[in-house]
Amino acid sequence: MLRFIVRRLLLLVPILLGLSILVFVFIRALPGSPAESLLGERATPEAIAQVREQYGLDDPIYIQYAKYLETTVAEFDLGVSIVSRRDVTAELKERFPATVELALAAMLFSVGLGIPLGFFAAKRYGGIVDHTSLVASLIGISIPIFFLALVLKYVFAVRLGWFPSVGRIDVLIDLEPRTNFYVIDAIIARDWTALRDVLEHLVLPAVALGSIPLAIVARITRAAVLDVQNEDYVRTARAKGLSPRIVDSRHVLRNALLPVSTIIGLQTGLLLSGAVLTETVFARPGMGTWLTDAIFNRDYPVLQAGILFLSIVFVLVNLVVDISYAIINPRIRYSS
Amino acid sequence: MSVAELESREIQLEAPSGLGSEAWRRLRRNPGAIIGFIFVLAFVFAAVFAPLIAPYGPLDQAKAGILDTQSPSADYWFGLDELGRDEFSRVIYGARYSLLIGVVSVAVGLSIGLLLGAIAGYVGGFIDSLIMRVMDIMLSVPGLLLAIGIVAALGQGLWQIMVAVGVTNIPIFARLLRGSVLAQRESDFVLAARAVGVRRRVILASHILPNAISPVIVQGTLALATAIIDVAGLGFLGLGPQDPATPEWGTMLAGSDRYLQSAPYLAIIPGLAIVVSVLGFNLIGDGLREALDPKLRGRS
Repeated sequence: MLRFIVRRLLLLVPILLGLSILVFVFIRALPGSPAESLLGERATPEAIAQVREQYGLDDPIYIQYAKYLETTVAEFDLGVSIVSRRDVTAELKERFPATVELALAAMLFSVGLGIPLGFFAAKRYGGIVDHTSLVASLIGISIPIFFLALVLKYVFAVRLGWFPSVGRIDVLIDLEPRTNFYVIDAIIARDWTALRDVLEHLVLPAVALGSIPLAIVARITRAAVLDVQNEDYVRTARAKGLSPRIVDSRHVLRNALLPVSTIIGLQTGLLLSGAVLTETVFARPGMGTWLTDAIFNRDYPVLQAGILFLSIVFVLVNLVVDISYAIINPRIRYSS
Repeated sequence: MSVAELESREIQLEAPSGLGSEAWRRLRRNPGAIIGFIFVLAFVFAAVFAPLIAPYGPLDQAKAGILDTQSPSADYWFGLDELGRDEFSRVIYGARYSLLIGVVSVAVGLSIGLLLGAIAGYVGGFIDSLIMRVMDIMLSVPGLLLAIGIVAALGQGLWQIMVAVGVTNIPIFARLLRGSVLAQRESDFVLAARAVGVRRRVILASHILPNAISPVIVQGTLALATAIIDVAGLGFLGLGPQDPATPEWGTMLAGSDRYLQSAPYLAIIPGLAIVVSVLGFNLIGDGLREALDPKLRGRS
């Protein structure tokens, strides 16, 4: 087990190095000189000279790369945003929790609803629940996230007025941002009005973002339950007279959840990409709106940092999924 | 009829049906795939014959003097958009963009990905490791983000989003074909071909690739669906065609947000157009997967 984890961690090194090279090359592939890209069009000659010095832009390319690694990795200095003139790291600390909050809420929605849905579809195999869920999940994966988000916004915010349509929190509510996870901040401050408001702002984006994973989770759960149901050990458990409920929960669902857990990990990339679009529709100040604004403003330090950071998160989440998969699946645990 | 003719007839009758014809037979019996075909045919038909179907040009104001939205009516089936242009005509013309962008971007990803995957799988060794590590790195950036990065580097525009979405498809196809080639390389019929002295190139071209290609066909169809969604997503973010008047579905949706209160149909109609075309490709892809699955061969 330990060997497996160490091996996976070692495999991470070339991937992260490769990622940094990709982003490094990306900044140098942009039109204009990297110093101008990093400082914006209105940079003073002094500032350009300073950046050239800091990143060693007059040095050979491999020294430039080493310096780049040193500033981003060792000092965690991601530069200064061209637009806001603030440290990119500081902005990242505000934006990232917003996206994580949204992604977690979406995940909760998709897993909390998808597993029972898939399970009952499999239990009533061929029945009306099964057919409906199959059709619904097929339509689910064919709907663009932003379209679903727009429809939800129109029906539940614009028409019915049940939920707010934009932002993370009502502008009139004053909440001290400590962690920038507003849900946690509200709980720390024991401000229940704020908590309620934050959750209300979270519902529609989370449902929009979680619907496609929901469709996928339900489909995979259904297939896995159908597979496991015919296994010998399930028949043995039934034959020895265990109650159907215990067989379902201990023998069927537990084993069926193995493939489901991998799928949940694979959905992280989709959630991160989808968050970009969902945040745009609901005007939530997260990573997504940060990055799209950065494109329009040619704010390359932000783009570089944002893409690198989200990719690292994606890689790490997949690592955690792999490891936890090995922990819950005895077949992998014992074979390594 | 001569004996020889009779014999040849019988041989023809007994000839085993190929994978292709059998798959086609199974595909025709799959109601989902039929619906998918209908959707996709309607989509392609709209794209090809747009000028004949659409009552107005995509940029024309349908009614002189009207510079405002108008709800759907008998004259304007899907209503008028904020500049008084016929929404129905714009959606029909939009099919051209989505089809073109989808096909081109999948073709880019497919051709480069297949080449890399086939080389990696068949040559093996250092080249294999090198190609696949690069693919791993590309896959470690979430798809849409990679596309956003590429568009940021190339600038906004139609061909830029095609390239961006195409590049995100490369590692998917490379991995798929490599795995497929690796699996076929060790199979008995390749061993048999090698044993009777068939040349390497011939083995790859006529024994391995034809058998490795069916997952690629399935993935290609599904990738078309994803490409249409991704391209619309980039268009929605405003990274698509520079001219906001271009009737690209994602770009149309982006503009509709401001009129959600007064003219929700401006969001719903292009959105439904995307859903229908994507659903069509997904249904065909699913049908193909079942039809081409060698485990299901012979059953029908």
